[in-house]
Formats: sequence, C-alpha cells, structure tokens
Amino acid sequence: MNANPLPVSVLTGFLGSGKTTLLRHLLRQPGFSRTAVIINEFGEVGLDHELIEASEDSLIELQTGCLCCKIRSDLSQTLADLLRRRDEGRCTPFDRIVVETSGLADPAPILQTLMTDPAVGGRLVLGSVVTTVDAVNGADTLEREAISQKQVAVADRIVMTKLDLAAPAELALRERLNALNAGALVIIVHHGRIDSGALFNAGLYDPCTKSTDVHKWLAEEAQGYAHARHDDVIKTYAIVREEPIPAVALTLFLEAVAEHCGNDILRLKGIINILENPDRPAVIHGVQHVFHPPVWLDRWPSEDRRSRIVFITRHVPQRWVEVLLEAIGQEVADVHVYQSPSQQPS
Amino acid sequence: MSATLDDAVGELLTQSLMAWRVVASVERTGDGALVINGTRNTVRIERVEHAIFRWMVTADDRQRGAISLVAVLRQVREALDPGYAANRVRIAVAALVPSQ
Repeated sequence: MNANPLPVSVLTGFLGSGKTTLLRHLLRQPGFSRTAVIINEFGEVGLDHELIEASEDSLIELQTGCLCCKIRSDLSQTLADLLRRRDEGRCTPFDRIVVETSGLADPAPILQTLMTDPAVGGRLVLGSVVTTVDAVNGADTLEREAISQKQVAVADRIVMTKLDLAAPAELALRERLNALNAGALVIIVHHGRIDSGALFNAGLYDPCTKSTDVHKWLAEEAQGYAHARHDDVIKTYAIVREEPIPAVALTLFLEAVAEHCGNDILRLKGIINILENPDRPAVIHGVQHVFHPPVWLDRWPSEDRRSRIVFITRHVPQRWVEVLLEAIGQEVADVHVYQSPSQQPS
Repeated sequence: MSATLDDAVGELLTQSLMAWRVVASVERTGDGALVINGTRNTVRIERVEHAIFRWMVTADDRQRGAISLVAVLRQVREALDPGYAANRVRIAVAALVPSQ
C-alpha cells in the first residue's frame, strides 16, 4: 500500500440533475484545485467537458460508453494512466480524484471497479459517493427510473439542486430521499455553489487528518437503528448485536449474504465486535458481492461496543438477514460446545 | 443439536424461502429432520452428530453432506430454485483505509 493513497470519489445523479453545474463551481474553489476529474459522457459527442473550466491535464473525458456497463476497463486504464502521469510529474499535481458518471450509470459497478482493480488498488482509497437530485424532476425520476433510485441509495451525500425553481417540492422530495437512504446527509445547493469539503469528506478515511470516523461514515444518528426505512424496492436497515460475533460466524454470514443476495446488496457498512479481538473493532464495507478486507481499528470510537451493520438493499428482507446471522451464530456456538473436551464422544 | 439451533434452522429455512421468493413449506418430521416441500422438489435436511459433515441434504434421491448451514442453504436453493446462480464473494484489492 502506498503511504499516501488518494481518495477517489464518485459524483453521480440522473440526467439533468445538476452534476456538471456542481462540478463547474467546485473546480473554481481553491479547496478543490488539486483534484483530477474524470467525466464519463454517454453519446457520440460529449458536451459536459466543454462546460467545465479546468486545466486540461487534470480533466479527462471518457466518451466510449456508459461507465457502468461498457467501459469499466477504460476507467481502470484511465486511473492507471492518471497515476502514472502524476508520478512522472507530467500533469498538474492532484490529491484527489472525482469520477463524474453519466446520468444513466449504475454506480455499483463503478464502485466495484474502484475496489477491485489491481492496477490501481494499492494507490486509491474509496472516498465519498455524492448524488445530485433536482427538485424539479427528481421525484418523478425516482418514481420512474430504477437507476435513479440506486444512485440515491448508495450515496454518502445527496445534493438537492434547482430548489429555486421548485421550492414547494422540497419536503416531499426529502421524505422520498429519506425513505431510500436515511443515512445520507441531504445538502441543498443553489446554482452549484457549495463548499467542496461538505461533499467529499464523507468516506471512512479522511486523508487530511489521516484518521477514520466510523460514526460519521455509518451516519448512525441519521439512520436511526430502531426504524428501518424503505420504499417499495429499496430497503435500508441496521442489524445490531449486543454480543460479540465470532470471526468465523461473520465470514460465513457475509458469504451467505453475498451468495444469495449479492446483486441486491447495494451497499453494506458496519462496525463489528469480533469475539476473538474485542478491543479492536472491525469495520466492514461491501458493494453487492465485493467486500473490502476488514479494517481493524486501534480502539472503539465510543463507549458503544455493539456490532452494527447498515444494509441498503433492493428487496432483501431484514428478517432474513437477522435470522441468518442468528442461525450461523448458533451453529458456530454449537460446534465450539462439541469441540470442548467434556463434550467429545467417547 | 441444541434446541436453540434446531429452532433457528427451521426459521432460517422459512425466511430464506420467502427471501428467494420460492413457494415451499417447511415441516419438521417425527425423527427431527426438516422437510421442505416445493412445487418441483422435496428436500430433506438431517443433522448428523459428531461428523465433519454436520448435515445431510437429500434432494432428487441424492444425498449430500453439508459442512455448515451456509452449505445447506446452497444445496436447498439449488434444489428448489432452478434459475439460481450463486454469487461468490470477491475481496477488494483496494483498502478501505491505508495500512499504517
């Protein structure tokens, strides 16, 4: 692992939701100046990059198709090239990468690419997922377009745009966004004007302080563990366990979740009290069936030592997840009882 | 097998069928086995004491050992859900935070 890995964030949102306007304003801010931007345009002639004012060598356009379905290898290649140019001093120095997806992109495969690509894996850490939703068409789009729902569901930050054109829509849209993703902070912007720090500091790792903030990352206060949130399709809930979880039980649990419902796990985040190592919590993160290796924190971030796993899913019942973890835990306990000397068969 | 695990497995199978949207029912037989009656198949699950394969799963007159509940679930779903294609866990090469 490189000593100073770069955070790579994803800016997504449906067509016309204000991604490019937001990016234009961000790129004018001094705090955003050391940022390389990769823009994915879907179409014969890309226009978005023409609307962006930035130094040419830190702005890259991917125009061969939609990131999520056709050119994931292009993204990998582009990231690798970008890092090489940075290493060789052939571009303006940058400390962060933002990938702006096309409006029709499914963000999950893009996140998977960022997580699994061996060419860049050691150089990057996953930053924030920022999703724009416009107040004029957002509610209709969310009703109509499954991709739009998914873009909101995986977000760490949701940026509500164009509210000056549709102020009365705010409350209903907020409720809808909350049903899809209660854990994401909703931020209102006017004409793209926003502090970049408010958007791109929502990952687990903060490269500025070189520290982790699990509490913020899990968005525990917003989530409200006692109340599962869901709309008809997307379900957000948290599983909480008072008792420590054996490492093997956690492994089996995640394996079963990924195996049976991997495609419908939009995102999974958690902090786990592992039985064998109770003083060092493990942080887990997955997108569909791809999981980061657990991160072992030096200490618990608060007095709360319960295991908490936040699920953002499509149609995966909470009850099934709870019963699965319970049954696997029981089986592991049963094996341990059997293996103790007094229980061995004579 | 403990009664707690016994109950947990029955509930897990019931909830799994619902999660997979597979129409079937779960029953416990007099000898303690669990039987799942599906529209296209019947699956019998028995606990095996003191063996590496802790479970025996019978479907289509074929009996297979299962080392854990995760393996039981896999066999049950393969037997009852013809469109099922398992996802395997992939481990990301990129770390969530840099190593110290």
